[in-house]
Amino acid sequence: MSTSAARTDVVRTAAIEPQLGRRPGSVVERFVYDDQIVRMFVLATMIWGLVATLAGVFIGVELAFPKANLGLEWFSFGRLRPLHTNAAIFAFAGNSIFAAIYYSTQRLCKTRMYSDVLSRLHFWGWQAIIVSAALTLPFGITQGKEYAELEWPIDLAIAVVWLGFFGVNFFGTLAVRRERHMYVALWFYIATIVTVTILHVFNNLSLPLAVVELVKTGHWPRGEEWMKSWPVYAGVQDAFMQWWYGHNAVAFFLTTPFLGLMYYFMPKAAERPVYSYRLSIVHFWSLVFIYIWAGPHHLHYTALPGWASSLGMVFSVMLWMPSWGGMINGLMTLRGAWHKVTSDPILKFFVVGVTFYGMSTFEGPMLSVKSVNSLSHYTDWTIAHVHGGALGWNGFLSFGMIYWLLPRLFQAPLYSKRLMSTHFYVATVGILLYVLAIYTAGITQGLMWRAFDESGRLQYPDFVETVVRLVPFYWIRVVGGLLYVVGIVMMGYNAFMTWRARPETYVEEVHEAPALEREYDDGPLPETRLTANIDAAKQWDSKYLQGWFHRVWERKPLKFTVWVVAAVATASLFEIIPTFLIRSNVPTIASVKPYTPLELVGRDIYVGEGCYNCHSQMIRPLWHETVRYGEYSKPGEFVYDHPFQWGSRRIGPDLAREGGRQSFDWHVRHLENPRNINGQSLMPTYAHLLTEKLDFESIQGRVDAMAMLGVPYGDAVKPGEAVKMARKQAMEIADTIVKQGGYADLGDKKVIALVAYLQRIGTDISKPADAAPAAPAAPATPAAEEPKKAEAGGAGGSVASTR
Amino acid sequence: MRLSEIMGRLDLAFWPQAALVIFLAVFASVVWRLYARTSREEMERAGRLPLEEEGVVGRTGTK
Ligand code: HEC
Repeated sequence: MSTSAARTDVVRTAAIEPQLGRRPGSVVERFVYDDQIVRMFVLATMIWGLVATLAGVFIGVELAFPKANLGLEWFSFGRLRPLHTNAAIFAFAGNSIFAAIYYSTQRLCKTRMYSDVLSRLHFWGWQAIIVSAALTLPFGITQGKEYAELEWPIDLAIAVVWLGFFGVNFFGTLAVRRERHMYVALWFYIATIVTVTILHVFNNLSLPLAVVELVKTGHWPRGEEWMKSWPVYAGVQDAFMQWWYGHNAVAFFLTTPFLGLMYYFMPKAAERPVYSYRLSIVHFWSLVFIYIWAGPHHLHYTALPGWASSLGMVFSVMLWMPSWGGMINGLMTLRGAWHKVTSDPILKFFVVGVTFYGMSTFEGPMLSVKSVNSLSHYTDWTIAHVHGGALGWNGFLSFGMIYWLLPRLFQAPLYSKRLMSTHFYVATVGILLYVLAIYTAGITQGLMWRAFDESGRLQYPDFVETVVRLVPFYWIRVVGGLLYVVGIVMMGYNAFMTWRARPETYVEEVHEAPALEREYDDGPLPETRLTANIDAAKQWDSKYLQGWFHRVWERKPLKFTVWVVAAVATASLFEIIPTFLIRSNVPTIASVKPYTPLELVGRDIYVGEGCYNCHSQMIRPLWHETVRYGEYSKPGEFVYDHPFQWGSRRIGPDLAREGGRQSFDWHVRHLENPRNINGQSLMPTYAHLLTEKLDFESIQGRVDAMAMLGVPYGDAVKPGEAVKMARKQAMEIADTIVKQGGYADLGDKKVIALVAYLQRIGTDISKPADAAPAAPAAPATPAAEEPKKAEAGGAGGSVASTR
Repeated sequence: MRLSEIMGRLDLAFWPQAALVIFLAVFASVVWRLYARTSREEMERAGRLPLEEEGVVGRTGTK
């Protein structure tokens, strides 16, 4: 395969001036780089960068001013926030790293990409995935796991495009490369490709509803049923997988490829080699060996076993050193060139970007220390942390790279250096406004949650008080975000004007390099490799032979890749297997029973609306939390939760003990318009759930799916049984609502299922062990008929807790 | 007895701790070899790779 690619290159360049003949006797090949694919990815980066940040500003406005969603469910915060995060990560950062990889890999390997067709398939496939994300998330089609929201058909497409098109193309390019040594940037790319594949596949293992209906329920899936699935993992294990994925996605999608970018483009822009090549290698292996362990730090004080979260903390703290090594390595690359930084906005972007990398990687380990985490978790502190990383590190590195590329890709001088410089300042101010405001918001809210007054009561028992306090900061964030958006628009204009000045035809440089001999895969004798090389290289090569490290790994993409996979897989297995198998990790609780069929479909609505973007379902064993919310959460409570819904941010109160806290009628009216109940609430209105019909027919398939995943549903899996049970419970709840003075005719509406679920959450634990048989027909909620009206904010509920 | 039950009775919490030590050891050995067994010249040569734009032998145009 490699020879045919090489031949293509020769054919492709056959038209060039013949006077520059081959060196006699050497196997020299000629080739041109594919810069068109880089142009395409750069354009996509700019477009999606704009879309992602605009979406961010929009949901930012919604938090300050909830009516901004115009009451339309497609625009509500819970549905759009995943769109924003997915666009920022996979569309903006994704296209940016593809541009970097396609540009630098060809040059570092001295070859054109392995296949132009695969390059195009990769490009268009990836854009199609992004578009399908934009067409599904606003409709509530989601797996309900952060940054892994896309449903199974899109997940399959991602696997194909990522590994089948991009991966094959990349490794094919390595195979036909004409430079023996693989520069460290390529290692980072290799680690990115293999690790993201592993993460994506294992976190997204799920059972599609359509499959269940086809093989079990015997019912042809309709419409959205094709797009629904549940993770095979439940509760604690699902949480563990999710944050193993989530954390490592940050490592291997937003860190390693950008480090590759840094190690290639910073030396280019500064016109000097990286400060210490050795340090860059240490940096690489430390990320591969250590980062993969740090995931559990996202789950401190949760129902995750203590050993796992302590392990996550230790490894996270260890990460601090290599990360700073990397930052220093990047900054020191500018040694002797600092005068250039003052005049070159590209270097400014790089310097500030790398500085943000240093800040984020300092802050990350700090946030993983349990005591800090107890304050920061669930607050905006995390949001500030990730935006320092995304806007500062990923964003600025991308911008620096794009500005460096524009004149080279369009073969015309950059339209305006001044505008580029303005972009830099506007965006920097934007980030600072954003981050400082949101840090303040996070710490303010964290402290308010844990504040007690002299009499030992919560100082802010009404949750919404702690939210309203943040609104001014949210407006500052909107301003900061807008500045960042304006910067991207400036860059787009600059790019457009540069493109307009392009030559009529792009000049393509024809390069020449000796081909590598092919037998290296089989472990060639070192002496035979260098027939085509000059003396200096021979000398260098004999020294090179002493380097065991290089000989085995760096030169051999295959073995190198195997090692990376082995490290990542071993670490993951050692981390994951015990979580799944140690029985004491998830002690069973006899009174915890599966959801009734109606509650189950209600839970799917909860997932679909993205309530988890604002509500956690995980009470930590901290005094202020148990006082505010009730008994802390136990691992055994979540054994039937596919997917887990612990959440990561509390814009609204925790809901882990919501069941029975309010009346059915209260919930209906609250969902219809939260501001009818609580004037200052930021929660979106869910009035559409009061009018949209519940699809009872799909319930059987849902119950069958859970049964296939091991949830003991008993009789409910008999054909039609689940539907019958759901209708019965729905009618009972509808009657209850009428008795409570609420709306009539809700028995067949979606809201009934959702409210049934809300009334069930967290109630099993206080029931006797033999109560509530699997899938009871009656509403499984005790004491819910008595509305527990209380003073401000609908507080009330059990004696131990207030809100 | 199911396999998962057998596994469940083993004290697997020890695993990750053992793995932690092994990983650190491997990582330390990688770093050691890197500094002890590689030469300055080869590192410098490798570091200069991105700056090499040699081998341009001609130009051609495309639309
Ligand atoms: C934009 C963030 C946001 C989203 C999305 C959101 N909520 Fe809320 N929610 C809040 C806030 C803020 C409060 C506190 C003020 C209030 O009671 O309305 C709240 C309160 C609640 C309460 C009241 C808890 C109590 O007993 O006081 C319930 C129940 C609730 N939300 C359910 C939901 C459900 C179900 C969804 C999804 C359909 C949802 N929320 C989506 C922000 C949100």
